[in-house]
Amino acid sequence: MSTPGSRQSRTESRRRFLQAGTVSAGAAFAAPYVLTSKALGDAATPPASDRVVMGGIGIGNQGKGDQANFLGRPDVQYVAVCDVRKQWRDEAKGRVDAKNGTKDCAAYVDFRELLARDDIDAVHIGTPDHWHAIMTTAACRAGKDVYLQKPETLVLRDGPAMVAAARRYGRVVSGGSQRVLGDYRGIVDPIWAGEIGAVKSIDISVGGPSMPCYLTAESTPPDIDWELWLGPAPWEPYNPGRCNGNFGTGGGSWRSYVDYSGGSLTDWGAHHFGGAIFAADLLELQPAKVTFHPASADGKEAGYVSVAYPNGVEIFHNRPGRLRPTPSISHQSAIQIVGDGQPREPKPVPAYRNGEGSIYGDFIECVKTRQRPFRDIELAVNTMTAPHMIGIAYRLERSLTWDRAAQQFVGDDEANRFIDRARREPWTLS
Amino acid sequence: MPFDPATLDAPFAALKAYDWTADAAPLKTIDQAAIAAHADAALRADLEKRLCGILGGGPSRAAKEYACRKLMMIGTAASVPALAALLGDKDNSHMARFALERIGAPEAAAALRTALGEVSGDLAIGMISSLAARRDAASVPALAALLQGDATIAAAAAEALGRMSSPEALAALASADPFAAGGLGRAVVDARLACAEGLLAAGRRAEARGVYQALLDAAKGKPAAKEVELAATRGVLACVDASLAAL
Repeated sequence: MSTPGSRQSRTESRRRFLQAGTVSAGAAFAAPYVLTSKALGDAATPPASDRVVMGGIGIGNQGKGDQANFLGRPDVQYVAVCDVRKQWRDEAKGRVDAKNGTKDCAAYVDFRELLARDDIDAVHIGTPDHWHAIMTTAACRAGKDVYLQKPETLVLRDGPAMVAAARRYGRVVSGGSQRVLGDYRGIVDPIWAGEIGAVKSIDISVGGPSMPCYLTAESTPPDIDWELWLGPAPWEPYNPGRCNGNFGTGGGSWRSYVDYSGGSLTDWGAHHFGGAIFAADLLELQPAKVTFHPASADGKEAGYVSVAYPNGVEIFHNRPGRLRPTPSISHQSAIQIVGDGQPREPKPVPAYRNGEGSIYGDFIECVKTRQRPFRDIELAVNTMTAPHMIGIAYRLERSLTWDRAAQQFVGDDEANRFIDRARREPWTLS
Repeated sequence: MPFDPATLDAPFAALKAYDWTADAAPLKTIDQAAIAAHADAALRADLEKRLCGILGGGPSRAAKEYACRKLMMIGTAASVPALAALLGDKDNSHMARFALERIGAPEAAAALRTALGEVSGDLAIGMISSLAARRDAASVPALAALLQGDATIAAAAAEALGRMSSPEALAALASADPFAAGGLGRAVVDARLACAEGLLAAGRRAEARGVYQALLDAAKGKPAAKEVELAATRGVLACVDASLAAL
């Protein structure tokens, strides 16, 4: 926890906070803190002073799932929710109050008010991607640990900013792909056991980059703060398809559009690239070269992009008609990893810190013990560089070379323009 | 295959009439032209001129926004005057920066610096943010002056100086209060920490330690300064041995 202390000090802290009125301006609900029997704990629940005090920002869709996971943990005291949509905010508060048996879960429209609370140790963030870096760096600066839904970054520049904030303030910041260790053991375990030798190449099949959004203007409904939903993204008129949180990437959802998402390439890509990069033990690396392979002249074979790592491993995105050489190993039809077949010493597969099969438990354990989590933000950022670079190569239809130290493409002014985006005032990313 | 500029006439006619209710399909030709322009200087110049033509006068906000997105990709110094003219317009200022921030020409930075002296409020924060993203050393004196004014703008200026992490930026930050109320104090602390990290990365340990130690000393006895103390302590330790400060 960021501020481990006695139950008394935490209670005093909450009282000071409430008395200062820093919540009341924006909280839809707030009530004086009352020490209940639940706060004292029981055989199944640690006392409040031993629980991680949490709030959630962005509680629809995946954020709702994250909330359920944290809310269900006996070592978490969930006290606040934040969402720009009234319905989701109210429902999220209702779930917390039902779990706590109280009515005092605070509900915020503006995440800055939640982060201003000095009684909150950690937050989970499940907003659209265009908010991730700003909220994560602000949370670190406010002394909060962060569980951040994947894809952690919208543009390449987001990554170094979040890693710097996490390290600067000594915060635990976990990326949020629960599938990396949860879904890919079928490829991870044999590769780490040395069964296919050194990994040489990886084929990943997942959708492409996000698209421009040309949806028409509709009147903004009263239950959403549209300015805050857009935040640092370019101003656009409200359209329900623009901000729909469904998991589609083919249009009619924020995951489809370039201002808010990298599209399927980074959304499902966070899982598939995450699993493959973990399996191939590339987590510490970033690609050095990005190769655009144009479509065949007759148009029968689609173009595709590959990235090459400094150790020689190459990842191909949607390579058509790929061969299936042996020895290789596959995850469903989405990932195929090819090794050199040479004997290789097995090595132990990293595990979640608390021994549970849950990335949420891993995060909470690290909050308590001040360890880096399994999906430490730096590793998540490294992973996401691959799909982001692939997306830029698709947009520009050319090959690129990446200078990791400089965080720049070499000799390509236009590609470097896509590393970052100007944020809409007054939002900034330091 | 060379891109025929004549094929742009109809899409640009459509763009002039485009708003958020019109058919956007013709714009895809312009999208393709922007990609092809990388290897075709004449096409690039033609496309840039046409896009700049959208920025003045009659076309809608949606059309101007589209043009700015393309100029972000292919714009040069030639685009700067048309983009700069929008920096003081609250509806279009962000999208003008969307292009200007990413155009490497020094004229783009100069336009942002000029606008910083002319706009106020959120628009000024936008200029500061874009100058910071460019790490524009020439804007340090103007940013330093803003540290003493409106607290919200001063916080943005402090953040920008931290992003630059130069000796001049650090010197400017020395006079700013790390415990000022609201977001300003936090921004000043963050900026000084960023500058110290820059010094440490450059091997200037003693100077970095001085920055950390000054923050640590200033935090003593201050309420609600635990994040500052923690970060500064980690910094002091990192100056001795980076592994001591690892999480």
